[in-house]
Amino acid sequence: MLKAGLSRRTFIGGSVVLGALLTNFRFAKAFVAPSLPYRRKKIANIRELRTHRPIMFNYPDENSPAILVKIGRPAIGGIGPDKDIVAFSALCTHQGCPIQYSRGRFICKCHYSMFDPAKNGQTYQGHASEWLPQIRLRLDRKGNIYAEAIEGLVWGRVINLLPK
Amino acid sequence: MALFARKDRLPIPPKDAEKKTTVCQYCNVGCGYDVYKWPVGKDGGPKPSENALGIDFRKQQVALQGQAIIENMHTVVMDKDGKQYNVLVLPSKASPINRGNYSIRGGTNAQATYAPSKPTRNRLHYPLLRVGDQFQPISWDEAIDIIARVVKGVKDRWGPDSIAMKVHDHGGSGSGFEDNWAVGKFFFVAVGTRMLSIHNRPAYNSEVWGQRERGAHELNYSYEDARLADTIVLWGANSFETASVFYTEHMLPNLQGATIGEKKKIYRRGEPAEAARMIVVDPRRTASVTVAEDVAPGRVLHLRPNLGTDYVLANAIARAIYEKGWHDEEFIKKRTDLNTFEDYKKKSLMLDVPYEEFMRRVERLTGVSKRDIEKAAEWIAKPKRGGYRRRTLIIYEKGVIWGYKNYDTIASIAQIAALTGNYGKPGTGCGRQGGHQEGYVRPHSRSRAKLVGSIYAGGPPPNIDEYVKWDLRSKVYFVSGTDPYLSTPNAQEYKKRIHERTLALTKFLSEYAAAAGEPAGSEERAKRILEGLGKTDGLFLVVINMYQIETARDAHIVLPAAGWGETPQTSINCNSRLLRIYDKFMDPPGDAKPDWWIWGRIATRMKELYEAEGNYKEAKYCSGMDWKDAAEVFEDGASEFPDNRVSKADEAKLPAECYKGVTHDLLRKLGQKGIQTPVRIDPRTGKPVGTKRRYTYKFGTPDGKWKWYGTDPWDPDPKKFYPPQITKYFEHGNEKRFPFWFTNGRTQIFWQTGYHDRYLPEKVYTIPMPYIEMNYRDAERLGIKSGDIVEVYNMEGNCVAVVYVNDSPPPGTVYGIMYRFHESLNHLTTSYTDPKTTIPWYKASRVGIRKLSGKLEHIAKYTSFLPINDFK
Repeated sequence: MLKAGLSRRTFIGGSVVLGALLTNFRFAKAFVAPSLPYRRKKIANIRELRTHRPIMFNYPDENSPAILVKIGRPAIGGIGPDKDIVAFSALCTHQGCPIQYSRGRFICKCHYSMFDPAKNGQTYQGHASEWLPQIRLRLDRKGNIYAEAIEGLVWGRVINLLPK
Repeated sequence: MALFARKDRLPIPPKDAEKKTTVCQYCNVGCGYDVYKWPVGKDGGPKPSENALGIDFRKQQVALQGQAIIENMHTVVMDKDGKQYNVLVLPSKASPINRGNYSIRGGTNAQATYAPSKPTRNRLHYPLLRVGDQFQPISWDEAIDIIARVVKGVKDRWGPDSIAMKVHDHGGSGSGFEDNWAVGKFFFVAVGTRMLSIHNRPAYNSEVWGQRERGAHELNYSYEDARLADTIVLWGANSFETASVFYTEHMLPNLQGATIGEKKKIYRRGEPAEAARMIVVDPRRTASVTVAEDVAPGRVLHLRPNLGTDYVLANAIARAIYEKGWHDEEFIKKRTDLNTFEDYKKKSLMLDVPYEEFMRRVERLTGVSKRDIEKAAEWIAKPKRGGYRRRTLIIYEKGVIWGYKNYDTIASIAQIAALTGNYGKPGTGCGRQGGHQEGYVRPHSRSRAKLVGSIYAGGPPPNIDEYVKWDLRSKVYFVSGTDPYLSTPNAQEYKKRIHERTLALTKFLSEYAAAAGEPAGSEERAKRILEGLGKTDGLFLVVINMYQIETARDAHIVLPAAGWGETPQTSINCNSRLLRIYDKFMDPPGDAKPDWWIWGRIATRMKELYEAEGNYKEAKYCSGMDWKDAAEVFEDGASEFPDNRVSKADEAKLPAECYKGVTHDLLRKLGQKGIQTPVRIDPRTGKPVGTKRRYTYKFGTPDGKWKWYGTDPWDPDPKKFYPPQITKYFEHGNEKRFPFWFTNGRTQIFWQTGYHDRYLPEKVYTIPMPYIEMNYRDAERLGIKSGDIVEVYNMEGNCVAVVYVNDSPPPGTVYGIMYRFHESLNHLTTSYTDPKTTIPWYKASRVGIRKLSGKLEHIAKYTSFLPINDFK
């Protein structure tokens, strides 16, 4: 079942392709996120989720904190029966501070940017010029939730998959 | 899934990337930015030794300490060499103003650059000439020749005042000292007209003569003062949203107590140094209030006066200070004029009226309680433990500048600072926050038309909106660097009239061409225009801008202007008067030219025309404008400033912008450090030195003393207090038809009319149309929810808006964004201007609200309607 859900990108994977992408920016600039060979990662099972109870995880690597949350209202890119389960990078796109999930939205207490999880991580108030990068999720038949890719640049990087 | 294309990687600047100094093109704060530019395909590597930033991109950067590099900070531009270049526009960690911080607006500076492959391709490329109902590209030579002939012809036949203008006066995007000097020389000297108006407003005026005529320029403090103050007052200033980085980088740390160490270094020995308090005076519960409350609960005071009553409230706070004996006797005696102080005490403090009776009247009119007024007085002026004076920084902006009775309001606030000795010392000052940056230098000393001040200084200046609308002696109208179809008060009537008048000329020309064919060249075309201006009610409209703005739809000629990054430019910011270079890093689109070049060419062509007919006197006035480059214009402008080889104390006598002795080259050397105006030439060293803080020794009056002002009498009955433009809404059933107060302002999300922002997907989703904010209570009563579409209307005009329901406006008051992209809520503002200054009162009118049936599904689906002032 998992195999059926594997994307072409995950199959390709591998450092050879990543290396080629990194050196060839003439092509890279035309790429729209997700443009990198992200690996799939299991985050949680849908049965563990409670509305407004966020789950922290790291994606695409251990230095990139992320938040999975069931927000209780339909969301752009939301999964699950209510289309209300979303995940985002947990680093504020403004200056990299950790964001908190509070009362249905994300807030960064460093400079008070606020992002709407139902609206693609939209900065509806504050300094952050960039919306919060949203993480593509997949739900399998057992209710497992996987992170598949990240749309938008994680703060503090020039490439989401850190180069060697 | 994402609503628009996102990136997950950016190219890395190589070690040899070209680096330029610049400053954000948007708000008053003036955050420093560093530009890196390198050819596409020549990227650097992730190791620190392989890239221009010296950053190890193999590692995750650390929050706050790291260099912010986000998707929006990168773009690819094409230069006239036909090659593509990567450009990174990064908030500068070397800038004392922002220290690497940036706002939602500035973070997109790179996206505002022109690229043929991006929406900014919509920039104007070539001069455009109207023929009938269409625009045709023409050469600069022909465009300039037509304009020069029309201006000269109109001036010769009807006099210089038949030429009117509404032109930018600011710094930042597309202007600065160079363009402002060129504009001034063109209109003051070459043309010599009195019919001038600045930027958004109806006249040529300072917005703050009420402070300037007291002896203090409005930009007198430095950003450090926001770090050192005991109390920060934000009066009619929503700084979190409109001076974002100034608020979060300098005010918030002070509220948090993070600057106590800095205070201890500067304060007097034994003087208490604590985390600051903040007073916000604003009818709305803005984000500036609620962020401060989150940071410093118990140390934030919010006063919500009824619209237009601020000057009464300010004088009431001053009265409370005086009553409690918290005023600064020593400062008043030494630094201020004691004769006019008597007038102030009598008229402004109303000492003849018993205190309790005075406060009863104030409470009735302003809606602010005596308790809160006294608390504000205490926070501003009650001496600290040990008898040390509180250091209070008072920052005001459009909420009061564009309020009722502009002159009296600004004077009343500025005088609180004088009463309490809060000028010229660390942690003090009183001045405007600023909207945009500044770059004012105009040839006042050489002006052929007399320029006037407030009613107390030869004024008030004429209202040019009214002049071009109704007075047929106006024949030519220049609009540059501003879009009055959106931004002028009472905009709906204004654009209707400009349309009628410009159309009259267009019709004449079309009918002429139908009978005689199109003219054979620019000389013949100019002749027909002049004939048409004589025979019709017509108005010849020239628009100079980066984009085909709203006003341009009625223009006869549209000229394409270069923008930020496309020509070297200089400006000062508002919180520190920090002068820096905004260097050129790319070419303008098509044949677009810097404004100074355009004005210089028109003047020079007029000179040739006058010389050809032997009128050397007029030709001389049009000379000296054939500048070669921006640096030459900058230095030409310096000639306007007085001798600045003066002592430290005499900085008070210098214009706030004085930069004499500074060159573009020097600014390139100074980089992000810049130099604070007014610049003096140190009499000992002969070198230019900046001024950190103004009026430490004297004020800018002939005797160096503060001049007090006694305010006009006021009536506590609202029906008698307000002017006829408002009281007409209280009569004949209008009170029922227009039951809401209406006020307006800005959003943090985009800059001004969004002339660049309208091309950014984030902004289009977040602010999809004009919006209003309505209190929960009113919304419930009217059955209105967030996301509903309403018509807002009154006796001035109407606008359709989407609704945000929140607790920001008080019940009974509706707040709207001033304008957005193509639409304007300025349709609702009245034509009131302060008779003393001709400054409009944008901030209040009365409106009715009608809910439209149905929703706009796209907006309901993609736009966030969460409350923008709730940070809990």
